[in-house]
Amino acid sequence: MIQEKRGEDLSQVKSILDRYPRERRFLLAILQDIQKTYNYLPREALNEVRDYLGIPLSSLYSMATFYKALSLKPKGTYVIKVCDGTACHIRGSMDLIDEIRKLLSVSPGEVTKDGRFSLETVNCVGSCALAPVMVINDKYYGNLKPAMVKEILAGYGGIRGDWDTK
Amino acid sequence: MTGTPNNSGKTVLVCCGTGCLANNSMEIYKELKKRVEALGPGFAVRPVLKTTGCNGLCEKGPIVNILPDDIFYCRVRVSDVDEIFEKTILRGEVIERLLYLDTSTGRRVRSHKESEFYRRQLKIALRNIGQIDPASIDDYIERGGYNALKKALFEMSPELVISEIERSGLRGRGGAGFPTGYKWRQCKRVNSFPKYVVCNGDEGDPGAFMDRSIMEGDPHSVIEGMIIGAYAVGSKKGFIYIRDEYSLAVRNVSKAIEDAYSRGFLGRGIMGSGFNFDVEVVRGGGAFVCGESTALMASIEGRVGEPRVKYIRSTEKGLWGQPTVLNNVETWANVPVIIDRGADWFAAIGTDRSKGTKVFSLVGKVKNTGLIEVPMGITLREIIFDIGGGITGNGKFKAVQTGGPSGGCIPEALLDLPVDFDSLDRAGSMMGSGGMIVMDETTCMVEVARYYLKFLSEESCGKCTPCREGIRRMLEILEDICAGRGQEGDLELLLELSETVKEASLCGLGKTAPNPVLTTIKYFESEYLAHIRDKRCPAGVCRKLTSYRINTDLCRGCGLCAKKCPAGAISGKPGAPHIIDVSSCIVCGTCREVCRFNAVEVIGGRSE
Amino acid sequence: MRVIIDGKECEAGYGEYILDVARRNGIHIPTLCHSGALPGQGSCRLCIVEVAEAGKKKVVVSCLYPITGEIEVTTNSERIYRMRRNIVRLLAARAPSGEFIKKLREEYGIPEETRFKVDEKEKCILCGLCVRACEEIGLSAISTVNRGTTKKVAPPFEEPPEDCIGCASCAYVCPTGAIEVQEFEGKRVIWNRAFELLKCAGCGRYFITRQQYEYIKNKHGIDMKEPLCDRCRQKSTAEKLIHLL
Ligand SMILES: Cc1cc2nc3c(=O)[nH]c(=O)nc-3n(C[C@H](O)[C@H](O)[C@H](O)COP(=O)(O)O)c2cc1C
Ligand code: SF4
Ligand code: SF4
Ligand code: SF4
Ligand code: FES
Ligand code: FES
Repeated sequence: MIQEKRGEDLSQVKSILDRYPRERRFLLAILQDIQKTYNYLPREALNEVRDYLGIPLSSLYSMATFYKALSLKPKGTYVIKVCDGTACHIRGSMDLIDEIRKLLSVSPGEVTKDGRFSLETVNCVGSCALAPVMVINDKYYGNLKPAMVKEILAGYGGIRGDWDTK
Repeated sequence: MTGTPNNSGKTVLVCCGTGCLANNSMEIYKELKKRVEALGPGFAVRPVLKTTGCNGLCEKGPIVNILPDDIFYCRVRVSDVDEIFEKTILRGEVIERLLYLDTSTGRRVRSHKESEFYRRQLKIALRNIGQIDPASIDDYIERGGYNALKKALFEMSPELVISEIERSGLRGRGGAGFPTGYKWRQCKRVNSFPKYVVCNGDEGDPGAFMDRSIMEGDPHSVIEGMIIGAYAVGSKKGFIYIRDEYSLAVRNVSKAIEDAYSRGFLGRGIMGSGFNFDVEVVRGGGAFVCGESTALMASIEGRVGEPRVKYIRSTEKGLWGQPTVLNNVETWANVPVIIDRGADWFAAIGTDRSKGTKVFSLVGKVKNTGLIEVPMGITLREIIFDIGGGITGNGKFKAVQTGGPSGGCIPEALLDLPVDFDSLDRAGSMMGSGGMIVMDETTCMVEVARYYLKFLSEESCGKCTPCREGIRRMLEILEDICAGRGQEGDLELLLELSETVKEASLCGLGKTAPNPVLTTIKYFESEYLAHIRDKRCPAGVCRKLTSYRINTDLCRGCGLCAKKCPAGAISGKPGAPHIIDVSSCIVCGTCREVCRFNAVEVIGGRSE
Repeated sequence: MRVIIDGKECEAGYGEYILDVARRNGIHIPTLCHSGALPGQGSCRLCIVEVAEAGKKKVVVSCLYPITGEIEVTTNSERIYRMRRNIVRLLAARAPSGEFIKKLREEYGIPEETRFKVDEKEKCILCGLCVRACEEIGLSAISTVNRGTTKKVAPPFEEPPEDCIGCASCAYVCPTGAIEVQEFEGKRVIWNRAFELLKCAGCGRYFITRQQYEYIKNKHGIDMKEPLCDRCRQKSTAEKLIHLL
């Protein structure tokens, strides 16, 4: 089941649509802009896009579930992307993921209960020379060891739960 | 300070590629800028400060390079800024401790160009990167940029451009090595308009960042290549498809396009000729399969990135059913140089059937990681041991992976293989787009195969049966093997499924997906058998099949492992051999990594 | 233009697909995702054959490979048979319960799957015919969702589809009966959505959903003042004709 916030303010969707001609080829770009603005694709926004471009809803849903850059669920305020590209993988990215999972009780693809963090694995962020790498929103952290994760996350503050006392 | 300091004509280049940015290089740039701007009026010539694209040495970043003396500083910190400014920029003195340490000689060198890492390289596609500010079209022009375009437009017919590219022997850098000139010729022949040219900047190989560095560090080279290509085939419209994660590349390429328009290199009547060409950026959606040509075109059209059967080539029916030339970023970046310096010059570099250079991202368990550009035909050994400086720590080389998920793992016995399209193919791997991942004995080859199949199972578009279902089942087998549930007959079944997936899949993703499995079985069969029969992971990676033991003869009782063990599973008195409590050990491998005496041994799995 | 298929010389038009030429010449090639009425996708890969052209052999799907030169086709070499058998095995492991798949499995002598985990309830083999059928009607009420090994066919948000008119064309083209259609008490339920069925004004049989009736009327401007099933419509047309004569 798709959970989502209701009643998003859609005014920004209209201004996004205004930037693009009514042509199918702008669909992906439009969806990406919406994703960037709202952190996900609100359902009402998809309806707007359908009406604007005259594309069936099923195609939009197909796109939204095909492309990894798009999501139908709201993401956390901070999106933690742990690189699991090959270089990072063989230098221990799975250990980082285990550590984060332990600290935040969240698995890849999920959002923490307080909605602050989402955890994702990504395939190579292009910084293999610094492997293993993690990116939080747009900030890169390289040459990581599991032991360093706790401090980095603390820098984003406000993580509730008992992980700090453990 | 008295007199005029010797600062005239100094240019300070601060690397602001993604790697260095991750290490705070923007802060260094800002701090330097403050000091430059604060200089009094007594300075006739102020030092020029620039940000550049990735130097290819991310691991040694942040990097600051001071010209014209070519003083190359590595691992610079914000706290070093004052010293660099006072000593090197103002007084021309070298700060020894910040210089590049050449791992092969153990000496610090003033310019990294004196290092072994650099000297073996030959920069064509990366010619400008690290030397220019990617945001400055003037920097590009100053280094000869857009000369080739002028030459093509005013001195060459489209036909001549194509035959020049053909004669150069340039082959596509995106993976398959298709002859570029021939592709252009096919497109030119088709008498149907509009035609499109497309740049493939999707770079999905999960261990590669060559194209990213080019788009970020020298975007005009790609744009110039595309304009020349468009002129040659008769296209008026181009698209640059850039991977979603590469936000800096999107920014720099977009800026470069804007600047190229304002200088008349794009748009109507380019450079006063009668040729018109427009280009726009398309952001990818985050799907590896969109690197495949037909999927990429579907994606540009605003559809789901599913490949289509291509018995009719894209050069005939591509984007919106129209003739389309699709080339990789690095391929496009080579074009202006070839036109500028001539096909003969280019064809003199490389091997018989693979001309020019190739950019690789050399990463993994190797000392000097980074972006390198080498002439075709260089051996893997030279790349890994001379340029790469050998294996990190005191590890032993095990395999090198090339070609990403479509490629394979090459063992030590083949290290003297010359690197070109054909010999890598013969080894069961492929050149791919240029990821080169070095693996040592702590890498499990079965797990590597599992890793790639897992990747592909998520990245396959899922349209055709052999790929979708075949990869899923091969992954199921490999997961079983890694978890100690491998069965007799599994290897044979993997081989049989591989044949079907390879031959019967619709697109290149499926057709190459079995390569990581096939090469690891071919070269590392004993490792598979250890997993399946002995329930043991020799590399100590598969947790279910691994346990650690401290060799009491080697252990000096330093206690480091006990201190570092996150599970508190190690005990022992100082100076006396330590012991791992197997029941609380989580097999993370920390002890093995930290032990300076190699006392932690990998033994077979725990009996369940 | 002449081609050789399994040793037999066949006449083919330029650009004609191998499958069509083979069928015309009585050569059987198994297919799954192919339908004469819908544009081809080449996704099931069951119809693979070997093509030899200019001394080179390659594996292609016969349903979409256009004949443009002198080629020799082998539809059932040992290699092709082995791969086809694997494809059937893979499909059967995915969707073991459809009758269609069971038959194919028997045909290829594939034993009950023991090596892989199977989902006994799954019937869909992802041939994509349903999606294309719905698209062809002009509705696209359903689509493929996700990618890779998790791909499936579903309506948007996996909820009863707004755009669906309950025509059941998707279920009709599905080779494995994976799309459930229930009809009772003047209702049809498909994709978890209930539709009111209308009776034929001629014979009084339930035969069309209200939405479908409206859709045909509006979209195609077909003159149907009252719902008439195919049989009754033919009858009435015939009657009109007779009347005229
Ligand atoms: C699954 C798959 C992924 C690919 N990814 C890329 C990619 O990321 N970048 C790229 O340039 N080519 C990629 N290719 C190759 C392209 O299909 C195409 O051959 C290439 O872009 C052509 O350009 P070239 O001739 O200059 O190499 C990929 C191919 C496949 C089958
Ligand atoms: S081979 Fe894989 S990625 Fe390519 S079309 Fe088939 S399912 Fe899609
Ligand atoms: S029943 Fe609905 S989903 Fe199926 S073909 Fe008809 S309109 Fe499309
Ligand atoms: S539901 Fe039926 S028609 Fe649709 S994809 Fe699945 S098997 Fe094919
Ligand atoms: S593999 Fe992690 S950055 Fe490339
Ligand atoms: S019938 Fe040809 S691929 Fe399915």
